[in-house]
Amino acid sequence: MLCGPSGGGKTTLLRHLKRELAPVGMFSGSLTYKGQPLPGLPAAVAAGEIGMVFQNPDAQIVMDTVWHELAFSMENLGIPPAVMRTRLAEICALFGLEPLLYQSVHELSGGQKQLLNLASVLLLQPKVLLLDEPTSQLDPVAAREFIMALQRLNEEMSVTVIISEHRLEEVLPLADRVLMLEGGRLVADASPRGFVQQAGSASLASRQAYLPAASRLYLALSTEAGTAAPENIPLTVREGKRWLLNSRAAGASVVTEAGVCANVIRDHPAANSGAGLPAVVTREASAAAPGIVTPGNAVAEPVTYPAGASGPGGPDSPVNLPAPSAEILLSCREVTFRYDKEGREVLRKLSLTLRRGELLAVMGGNGAGKSTLLHVLGGLMKPQRGKAELSKGSTTGLLAQNPLLYFSYDTVAEELRHMAQYAGASLEEAGREIDALLEVFRLRGVLQSHPHDLSGGQQQQTALAMMMLLKPDILLLDEPTKGLDPAAKDRLAALLQQLRRQGASILIVTHDVEFAAKYASRCALLFDGSITAEGAPAEFFSSNYFYTTAVNRMVRDLLPQALTIEDVIRTWSGSAPPC
Amino acid sequence: MNSGFRSMHPAVALLYYAGLLLFALLGLHPLFLVTEIAGLLALLLLQGQGKALLRGLPFMLLMGGSVAVLNPLFSHRGAHILFYWLDQPITLEAVLYGLIMMTVLLTIFIWFISYNYTVTTDKFMYLFAAAAPRTALLTLMALRFVPLFQRRLRQITLIQRLRGVDVRTGSLRKRMQDGMTLLKVLLTWSLEEALQTGDSMTARGYGVAKRSTYSIYKPDRQDKLILLVLTLSGMIALFFWLQGYGTLEIYPRMKSMDFGWQDAVMYGSFCLFVLLPAGLEGKEKWLWRSSKRNKYPSAILKKTGTRSMSSRSQ
Repeated sequence: MLCGPSGGGKTTLLRHLKRELAPVGMFSGSLTYKGQPLPGLPAAVAAGEIGMVFQNPDAQIVMDTVWHELAFSMENLGIPPAVMRTRLAEICALFGLEPLLYQSVHELSGGQKQLLNLASVLLLQPKVLLLDEPTSQLDPVAAREFIMALQRLNEEMSVTVIISEHRLEEVLPLADRVLMLEGGRLVADASPRGFVQQAGSASLASRQAYLPAASRLYLALSTEAGTAAPENIPLTVREGKRWLLNSRAAGASVVTEAGVCANVIRDHPAANSGAGLPAVVTREASAAAPGIVTPGNAVAEPVTYPAGASGPGGPDSPVNLPAPSAEILLSCREVTFRYDKEGREVLRKLSLTLRRGELLAVMGGNGAGKSTLLHVLGGLMKPQRGKAELSKGSTTGLLAQNPLLYFSYDTVAEELRHMAQYAGASLEEAGREIDALLEVFRLRGVLQSHPHDLSGGQQQQTALAMMMLLKPDILLLDEPTKGLDPAAKDRLAALLQQLRRQGASILIVTHDVEFAAKYASRCALLFDGSITAEGAPAEFFSSNYFYTTAVNRMVRDLLPQALTIEDVIRTWSGSAPPC
Repeated sequence: MNSGFRSMHPAVALLYYAGLLLFALLGLHPLFLVTEIAGLLALLLLQGQGKALLRGLPFMLLMGGSVAVLNPLFSHRGAHILFYWLDQPITLEAVLYGLIMMTVLLTIFIWFISYNYTVTTDKFMYLFAAAAPRTALLTLMALRFVPLFQRRLRQITLIQRLRGVDVRTGSLRKRMQDGMTLLKVLLTWSLEEALQTGDSMTARGYGVAKRSTYSIYKPDRQDKLILLVLTLSGMIALFFWLQGYGTLEIYPRMKSMDFGWQDAVMYGSFCLFVLLPAGLEGKEKWLWRSSKRNKYPSAILKKTGTRSMSSRSQ
């Protein structure tokens, strides 16, 4: 696995490994494949045995229908029809593509498209698979599915997989080796657990953003992180939970806690392999009063938060945000929307309000109508029934999922200037405004580049800056964290918080549970065309079973309301001695 | 939905439609044309395409009707003068010829509707690819872009409205400018993406070796049989046409047609050619109906009479 900040050279490295795509420029050193220099390989071997899947699921597709797309790569190599047929049958069975075989490609979801891309590369039976942030455009469910497919390939067919990823929660536990690239240099090369251990040392703390939640929690809570045997370092939710319970049981003598512990063990026999645990269970069995240890007590037990923190999942402690005022900026009542006369109702009697200073995160599955909701709220589409009302004098700014839709000039500077003109600002006012935005978004360096030459994150920030020139009271953001590296995500969050302090309301539509839990003031779930659940992050997520943060899944039996690592650290250090 | 004639090998469909078009244009006796229309109509109706037919009907009648009316007004050839209109002789031959032209036009319109329904683009491209693989590939890729660009342009129009680029408002000059801006956005975006598509193609070995073609259609025995029957019957009809049978001579003077045995044989094989697909379609339809009507053969005896399911209420 390759990780590292955007612009660290991950893509360049991967493209060098694929001969056909080697970038133009000065090249020194050597690349060998099975001992042969890469440039000297026969064309068919180079194309077939080294496969590559890119970031954008749409741009890789060449043909119109699924079967044709699959056949495309095999046709290129002149594989005889009978062989093609068998291989196609095999791969369709492996990926479950059979029902889609005759569908037009544009009817597929992003996840299906990316699986199709993977499948069509696999039809050439590659020995090495290169993947350049393949899941960055996918929602979490589709991404997980994609990564599962990769894991199967790796384990069952022993295909070598080299993947660059920002989504570490799922990939890191599967990796054999983690390489970290920064500024074009290899700064780390270790096993996943070794990588976690390295990140634990103070000098490399910035790397912690690249770790899964379980490992970060471990590093934050464990005092012996530097010296512990690497095999004890948790990477997944299951391992993290086991570690937490183990250390808790070893350090604490409170019966109720042991009871919670035993509860978990009864529910998950697999967790029973922990060293000192059986003893704890027997002790608990004899000592625990039945009234205390009821299956539901973990959820019913209220967790007290130390004074000072405003609540779980609420605003980060360093940024003290004003509580959202009661002033309603945007409300929609029983909005119903469909695209065609005969189409299905995408939004059905949906009601929603947005108050001043709020950050509302709307979540929901693919095709639940999240983007449609934003378009309706932004006034781009008129609902057939119901009304989306803005309070008097307020305006909205919409950031769509694809920032490319916003650009029509040759440089970033021109884009911003024209936008300021449209917003009606005078020349010097516009200059000042743009200057301030450039500072916030760190776009000064790319002012003279073409918008299409920017990285995905920068494109998004440019589009957002353009929207900010309109000075909207309400920002509607569609998947703003898609494809961002951890550092960029933090910057975005800081920006949003700053805007909120200035009195703007923000509505984000997102799949990113961790982001919503950390920064939103309210969360809502869009399902079947309307809002089905709504509440502050703590209640919202702790009542969910799957749709919640990895940290919450890990600690929910101990601290049901804790959503982020910060929550856990706060409550943990308050209620129990550090382990 | 693929069933009946539509589910057959594209080569069969292509032969059928090529034959029909040829027969429509050969200038055959109206009887043949009417038969052809009947065959196509039967096929379309059996395929459940009555709606598409109805939608096209006003246009077809308008075009056909105008030809039928205009021909006698402009053409005055022929020996039997019916009457004079504005000092122009209207001849029986011209009227008849106009009517025949109308029938030909109607045939071709209906032919198009049926063709479009049965021979879809991918089927045509499949056959085309066998002849010219590289051109077919490029055409297919290009064809894919048409709906893709439409979808993208819709998105761009929506979003650019946020920055005041809108072709619905403003002066004509501004609207045109905005229209160009929208196209420019589309073009930049699509070219950028085309680079990635190109990468993806080379990465998957495009141009490495001579391309082979994957076929999703495999001719089965029925396909082959129908292909044979269609070829034979078509050839027989064509053969007699070359001998000069089955035509109706109108200009310069209408001759009454004597229907000899040769004409009868020709008409018979023509009917076979034209009606075969409709027959196949009908057969399939009938199979479904009859299987619905009949009980499914099952080893379990079906119990008759109602059984009481509710036992709660006592």
